[in-house]
Amino acid sequence: MELRILSPVSPVAVKKNDQKRMDIDGEDTPVHLVNPGETITTDQQFMRGHGTYADGENVVVSAVAGSVERVNKLLSVRPLKTRYTPEIGDIVVGRVTEVITKRWKIDVNGKQDAILLLSSVNLPGGVQRRKNESDELHMRQFFAEGDVLVAEVQSFYVDGSMGLHTRGFKFCKLRNGSFVNVPPVLVQRCKTQFHTLPCGVDIILGLNGYIWVNKKPQGLPENNTEEVDTTIMYSNTNDEITYEEREVIARVCNCITALAKRYMHINDTVLIYTYEASLVYTVKELLKVDVIDSITTEASQRMHEA
Amino acid sequence: MPAPLISPSEKSYITQGIESDCRADGRGRLEYRHLVLENGLLSQTSGSARGRLGDSDVLVGIKVEIGDIEQDQPDQGRIVCNVECSPSASQQFEGHGADELNNTLTLALERFLCGPQSGLDLAKLCIIPGRQCWVIYVDAMVMDCAGNLLDCIIMTTRSALFDTRIPKTEIQDLGDGEYEFEVMDDVEDAEPIGNWDRLPLAVTLYKIGDRYIIDPTIIEELCSEVTLTVGVNKEGSICGVQKGSNGSIDPSLLTEMIQTATTLGKSLIEQLDAKLIDDDKAVQEKRMRGEPVQKLGFFAAVF
Repeated sequence: MELRILSPVSPVAVKKNDQKRMDIDGEDTPVHLVNPGETITTDQQFMRGHGTYADGENVVVSAVAGSVERVNKLLSVRPLKTRYTPEIGDIVVGRVTEVITKRWKIDVNGKQDAILLLSSVNLPGGVQRRKNESDELHMRQFFAEGDVLVAEVQSFYVDGSMGLHTRGFKFCKLRNGSFVNVPPVLVQRCKTQFHTLPCGVDIILGLNGYIWVNKKPQGLPENNTEEVDTTIMYSNTNDEITYEEREVIARVCNCITALAKRYMHINDTVLIYTYEASLVYTVKELLKVDVIDSITTEASQRMHEA
Repeated sequence: MPAPLISPSEKSYITQGIESDCRADGRGRLEYRHLVLENGLLSQTSGSARGRLGDSDVLVGIKVEIGDIEQDQPDQGRIVCNVECSPSASQQFEGHGADELNNTLTLALERFLCGPQSGLDLAKLCIIPGRQCWVIYVDAMVMDCAGNLLDCIIMTTRSALFDTRIPKTEIQDLGDGEYEFEVMDDVEDAEPIGNWDRLPLAVTLYKIGDRYIIDPTIIEELCSEVTLTVGVNKEGSICGVQKGSNGSIDPSLLTEMIQTATTLGKSLIEQLDAKLIDDDKAVQEKRMRGEPVQKLGFFAAVF
């Protein structure tokens, strides 16, 4: 059994390798990165937006580490690493932390836990059914503490916390797979957050940085008109998963972690390219730093050519 | 925020994965993540080391100070350990959330280091028998928690103790049983801790389902019912065994687990010592050539 013991590397040395790798977003405008406490400008004409504060008379100082954004006269700093900032309509993957009267509290990597009301979930017996007392007493049959689910952001409460709903055939309790955590800023908004990769694995790229990689469960409804079968939607048991399928899921998880470690945007295209680049290595080799470098460089080059 | 949670389907996925020797990240049951090790990074300590095992980050600082001798061991120095989990390591550590874990880890570290099982030459640490001795304060701080904390702490502590230098003392006999001593300030004269290479390393085995694994991630740790930490020294002798968590182990499985841990531990110590000695040689050669030795410390890239 071999333990790889490495020496620390200076970040300057790491950056030299990055120069060879082109910027994946292909932006031509140079990005102005600032540290907390760094003066952005002393020009009086600008208004201060998020992430900045005034230090003395005309000095605009950054409060976070991030990139400076200027819209006309408004200066703001967008942080590089921050909690998830929700928008209405976002698809998020969350984990239930608490079960309270008529609602669930869900951890979605935001500043506060999100709330999922009992009236916002699919219940057996039809979509429009009225909730009764027996539903309130049996909330844990649907979602218990620790369960992972996918939901959509429906609204905001006055205190800033978000309200979720799972009305729809795509939203259910998640199983048959593996959970990956990446910084929320890296997950890009696509037309859909639910993807099926060519290798046969389903992924849900939650915009809050929580990603679920799984093998598609059997018997899930295909569209909205079908009757909700709660034994499948709220089931806790996994289907039979073969060794090869398990390896593919592990490989996809490692690819996502590799992209996150190199701080690259995550969407289904770059993930497919990274996966294809990773096929020359075994799954556990994808944990090595040089392998991560090589597959992410290849993926970003292919993204640039496309 | 309470302790991290896991869903029954995730637990079942991981348990079956371990059964087929394919964990969530593709590793086998008895494979470690990579370790990034650096020592001598804190200039105000007598010895220090920082180890990142996967994403778990531990910083160990050693201070060597003069203290009073314990009456039941009048001719030996002693070691005092403390482990603290920084609140920034995990959301469950904010406020007093880390207190219980700090206690558990401190007691576990003391089990392996304090006493004759550590293999250290404690008699060498005695300055004036019956009066004064060197006390080695080991302080470990967990800066990032990603599973398998105890193994990471003990590996980093071993590296820090390798790096520790104890100043020389000169004792003057004033007659009448009175002694006075002076501490030499010369850095070159300081000595390493006697018999540091006999220190044990810990291998913690986590039982999940019917199998056991090493070096779990946080989610895998949540699936384990019982853990077994075995302290092994370079000769393959067992220096300490500790069972953690609320489960139980079948006696036949216990023997097998101890056997596995001993084999793993022995090989681990060889590799770790080889790396420490090589790095030290490289540093000494650089110094002899007059080149400045730069320790990266917290400026190192995180990967």
